[in-house]
Amino acid sequence: MNQIPVTVLTGYLGAGKTTLLNRILTEQHGKKYAVIVNEFGEIGIDNDLVVNADEEVFEMNNGCICCTVRGDLIRILGGLMKRQGRFDGILIETTGLADPAPVAQTFFVDEEVRRQTLLDSIVTVVDARHVVQRLGDSHEALEQIAFADVVLLNKTDLVSAEELMQVEKRIRSINATAIIHRTQRCEVDFAAILGRRAFDLERILAIEPNFLSEDDHQHDDAVKSVCLRTDRPLDGTRLMGWMQRLLAERGQDLLRTKGILSIAGQDMQFVVQSVHMLMEGNFTKPWRSQEDRESRLVFIGRNIDELELRQQFVACIA
Amino acid sequence: MSFSAEQGKTSLLDRVGTGQTVKAYVVGVAFLEEGVLAAALGDGRVAFIGSDSVDAPRFVSVNDGACLSLAVDLGGDRVLTGGDDGRLVSTDTAGTASTITTISGRWVELVTVSVASELRAAAFGKTVRLFARDGSEVGTFDHPNTVGGLAFDPKGRRLATAHYGGASLWWAKAGGQQPKRLAWSGSHLSLTWSPDGKYIVTAMQENELHGWRVADGADMRMSGYSAKVKSMSWLPKGRYLATSGAEPVVCWPFHGKGGPMGKVPLDLGRGVDGVVTVVAAHPRHDVVAAGYEDGATILVQIDRAHPVLVKQPGEGAVTALAWSADGQHLALGTESGFIGRVRLSDWRAPT
Repeated sequence: MNQIPVTVLTGYLGAGKTTLLNRILTEQHGKKYAVIVNEFGEIGIDNDLVVNADEEVFEMNNGCICCTVRGDLIRILGGLMKRQGRFDGILIETTGLADPAPVAQTFFVDEEVRRQTLLDSIVTVVDARHVVQRLGDSHEALEQIAFADVVLLNKTDLVSAEELMQVEKRIRSINATAIIHRTQRCEVDFAAILGRRAFDLERILAIEPNFLSEDDHQHDDAVKSVCLRTDRPLDGTRLMGWMQRLLAERGQDLLRTKGILSIAGQDMQFVVQSVHMLMEGNFTKPWRSQEDRESRLVFIGRNIDELELRQQFVACIA
Repeated sequence: MSFSAEQGKTSLLDRVGTGQTVKAYVVGVAFLEEGVLAAALGDGRVAFIGSDSVDAPRFVSVNDGACLSLAVDLGGDRVLTGGDDGRLVSTDTAGTASTITTISGRWVELVTVSVASELRAAAFGKTVRLFARDGSEVGTFDHPNTVGGLAFDPKGRRLATAHYGGASLWWAKAGGQQPKRLAWSGSHLSLTWSPDGKYIVTAMQENELHGWRVADGADMRMSGYSAKVKSMSWLPKGRYLATSGAEPVVCWPFHGKGGPMGKVPLDLGRGVDGVVTVVAAHPRHDVVAAGYEDGATILVQIDRAHPVLVKQPGEGAVTALAWSADGQHLALGTESGFIGRVRLSDWRAPT
């Protein structure tokens, strides 16, 4: 069965999420989308495959305290599968105040959702003018940036070049792996936000070694990114043991983890992704060359002790 | 897949059945009067297929999007369907569709009919609505979350619903009542009421079943499944509950004291590979029809080790199974739009 790509659109109230959604739905790009909108949608959506969702966040009985899923999404995605062939992809709009974790976790936890769909990317629309204030007063605004694969830094015409640079740095310090596009009225090439799954993990390889310069630390956001790297192969057993322990103990604070890892004795790249405590890892494709084999592991989370993580990571070197 | 006893033999569908393609996901199948088979489809149509295999099916466009649910309506000569366009529709075999109600923006994922009390119930998101034979609405029942399961008791006097956090028991009459809540944490996705009215069983998000004894609310957990249980069906007199969600057909014993507690379920159809997606118990005999994720379908008796092949793998996962009231016809539907029917009166069980 073909897995249907799913794009999640998040963003604080007024950032321009609905503008983006309407642009995707009305402009010519040859693709048809089913849209799952929240019941408090800001303006009407003109599309014949719109589903209203109540964001029903359910706890799982699997002994994992932070493991919540969107029960309504499981149901709606299952229902949409009965209309397969009528659309090429699914867009999910979340409310401005939503924490993206339950949406992302739904794609890890539910076997049917995993089999039938593919979480393509989480796109977060950010209002360049108000985001700094939002980051100060809203837990959700921070989470939405932390979870993003793609950030649309929107309304750039309303801020100065200097302010824009500061905002971008701030976003980068929270989420080192997200691709940032500067936009006005969400005008962006759709190829930059839709159908990106494979590319987004590759993105980890492109992170600047010094993405955090000293002066960035002045903002002290509760959420930050830590990027670990080594060009020496890792011991697969030790690495997995460490990561499983780490996520079990610290999963509530670790919002997202992404890595492309070089495992000793393996020719393939080991790609790992997690949302809080839920992790999945696969050997995906061969390294291009031996010289190329640099492992990179990015943690995005709260209360991260960078030094401790670094020491534990180094201890996994084969 | 492999059949130790049946290997190399043709299926019942090849020998005593007919099949056709309808080019849409088969949501449900049901037999109506005079052997007419009805199927609700993922493109919003209902298909009526006559008992004479030379007749082409009659298609009726009923819902704007997908049909999501199907039940035989009162009178036995029509079907009740709910769609993702918010419409609850009753359609007769002549093709006349009458809309009972429309709640736009809501999916109608569950419909059920009680012949005993002549009532129909349908879930519209968090609200269950009850309708009389003439189509008038006689009650509404609100829930804190979307309703996942819906069933009348055998007399049609009570209505049970499943939802996040447990199940609710309502009297099947006017609203304004407080339900009896049966609490169990987690998300309950479907529900069935035992034919003797003594037990309620729900299927959960966590690949397990939860049961309650209605009299005292005693809890029962039934676990060990490899997938979500999507289908449950009671064997005659409610002696066993057959379920999907595992490689064998798991049948929990409900006869005797205490229901299934402390007892081992029967696992039927061992040796057949793949996860069971749908089950339908025969109305009169201890026989279960089971459809698999690869499209294979079998019949298995509870005291017979070797299953009988109804349909070879193919055409996508089996999504629907139904017996005729007399147990002489079995119908099946699949994900990719295959509908088959088998006449068991023409077939003799191997002895």
